Amino acid sequence: MNSALLAGVVTGAIMSGTSLLYATLGELVGERAGIVNLGIEGIMLVGAASGFAATAVTGSPSIGVVTAMLAGAAVNQIFAYLVVTRRANQLATGLSLMFFGFGLSALIGGPFVGALITGLPRLAIPGLDPQSAAARLLSYDALVYLALPTALVTWWLVFRTRWGLHLRAVGESPAAAYAAGLQPGRLQYQALIFAGALGGIAGAHMSVALTLTWAEGMTGGRGFIAIALVIFAKWNPLWAVAGAFLFGAAEGLQLQLQAAGSDISPFVMNMTPYLLTLAVLVVWGLRGRAATAPAALGRTFTGVE
Amino acid sequence: MTRMRTMAALCGALFALLVGGPVAAQDKPSLIVGAIYVGSLNDYGYNRAMKDGLEEMKKNIPGLNLLEAENVSETAESERVMEGMIQQGAKLIFATSFGHQQFAFNLAKSHPDVTFEHAGGWMQAANFGNYFGATQAAWYPMGVAAGKMTKSNTLGFVVGVPIGYAIGNVNAFEMGARSVNSAAQTRVVVTGGWSDKAKEVAAANALIDQGADVVTMHVDSPATIIQVAESRNVHSIGFQSVEARQLAPKGWITGLGFTWGPFMTETAKSVMAGSFKPAMVRQGVGQGMMAVAPFGSTVPADVQALVTDAANKVGGGFNPFTGPVTDNTGAVRIAAGEFWGGDKMGNFDWYVDGVIGKAK
Repeated sequence: MNSALLAGVVTGAIMSGTSLLYATLGELVGERAGIVNLGIEGIMLVGAASGFAATAVTGSPSIGVVTAMLAGAAVNQIFAYLVVTRRANQLATGLSLMFFGFGLSALIGGPFVGALITGLPRLAIPGLDPQSAAARLLSYDALVYLALPTALVTWWLVFRTRWGLHLRAVGESPAAAYAAGLQPGRLQYQALIFAGALGGIAGAHMSVALTLTWAEGMTGGRGFIAIALVIFAKWNPLWAVAGAFLFGAAEGLQLQLQAAGSDISPFVMNMTPYLLTLAVLVVWGLRGRAATAPAALGRTFTGVE
Repeated sequence: MTRMRTMAALCGALFALLVGGPVAAQDKPSLIVGAIYVGSLNDYGYNRAMKDGLEEMKKNIPGLNLLEAENVSETAESERVMEGMIQQGAKLIFATSFGHQQFAFNLAKSHPDVTFEHAGGWMQAANFGNYFGATQAAWYPMGVAAGKMTKSNTLGFVVGVPIGYAIGNVNAFEMGARSVNSAAQTRVVVTGGWSDKAKEVAAANALIDQGADVVTMHVDSPATIIQVAESRNVHSIGFQSVEARQLAPKGWITGLGFTWGPFMTETAKSVMAGSFKPAMVRQGVGQGMMAVAPFGSTVPADVQALVTDAANKVGGGFNPFTGPVTDNTGAVRIAAGEFWGGDKMGNFDWYVDGVIGKAK
């Protein structure tokens, strides 16, 4: 384990864990309101494509990120309408949303494949040569620095505000919340706007900051990893930070180990992040913590609206 | 997306039959050719090179109608897309990605009147042939370039999927580097897919973190890796398409590009004349399918001469895989007096001495 490898893993974990964290936080808020969105992969793709397209057209990556946020929120509203107002099955609708997002993102991004953009700039730390190892370890783009504050704000929103309390009430028992005078449907819509916005940002980080490119399906299943990470985080935004960082580190570690010359087959190495996710979920399940899920997660509220 | 395209294509074909039948009979194309690409055409890479070749074929044969589909994944979906093209009258199908092979082969069995050309595979049938550049030996001059340009003696190679042909590319690259620089070592990182951009970024960074100052790749699009190399001020050597040079004005050394036009034109003409003969066609540098890309501005003239020399040697029949060749565990893999020819290029599951990595 040389120091270059360690530094590389940390940098890789932070860079690739950031988009995972945003997606996880978004999904988490939705699930706290009782809605499981399997289509977050589609939201991320729409965010990535629209963010890239907007950056290519306007030349400003910040506009790209904002566009991605709005696009993600908008597409998630379609999901919200189907699941909350029309009371469609959440799992099936979520998967349909994923396919829809796949196609829509391909449509948006198609004309822009191969375009060269100026990505989100990395912070220039005064006195540090940008190519030095220290700079690579400390200097990131704005979305990375905002990730932890976003997690803290999400935690505060869900656990320390009245809105968050109402949200959690709806997620535990929408009927009881309704009886107490709340409007479950409206709260779920609000939660899904928030979730869509964060999902869009997650996608934008991949295309506008990390890879500076757009390719169909470029999120590579990270949306589903985010869904697993919500369970890992026990629906708490602070644990989500650990989960996203851990998965990012696993992904970075296997690539760094290959470069350093590991004796393990590259096929096994490529599997390790997903094996880690599975292992964590199994251990978590064995400890009987399933009870921490919002009680009404995935159930459609069919009461009087 | 491709499902929508197939539906649209089938509806369009039906509509054309009903409405345009009598009209279409008057301006019948000389040949309808179908082509499926695994990725996007604007990738500065593999798919771009295929498209350039097909466009050249189209220019050379008047009246040729080209049906295309991008982003056709290497799954049963590709079979449906190709079937749709056959329904529209395609008599020659180019399945341009390695993973399309089985699906194209299935269709070859059920459509004996349609000719299939698959890129990079080995399956054969009366109406099914393979074509590819003899890439392995062509990487030797790339290794020569890298071996001369490196200061850290560490070269980095990002491999998408570690098939035998790709491992052979790495081996020839290292052998070329060793021929001019006995201390040169190549580190290999496998991303697991031909086109996973996020992993390619991480892989390129990992190689550079471990000291590589020349980075190259065998993935569908060299663009992302070359951009990472350029942003970290290291050299890059391109692959797939010579257009990637514009992405690295400072760090570009050279690259390998595919020139499919002549072969595709020949194949289309043979289909039209009814004289198609299936074969496993492999042409290297100097034989028509592969070209060495222009050199970057920082490459000294003596290095350029060495590389061009090596390329000419390979074009003249030099085979780097001539024994004795030892792998990176010390075992002799090709005995003295033996050599591995074109038919064995898919058999590599070991790296030569000097490569740091595990092949399988």
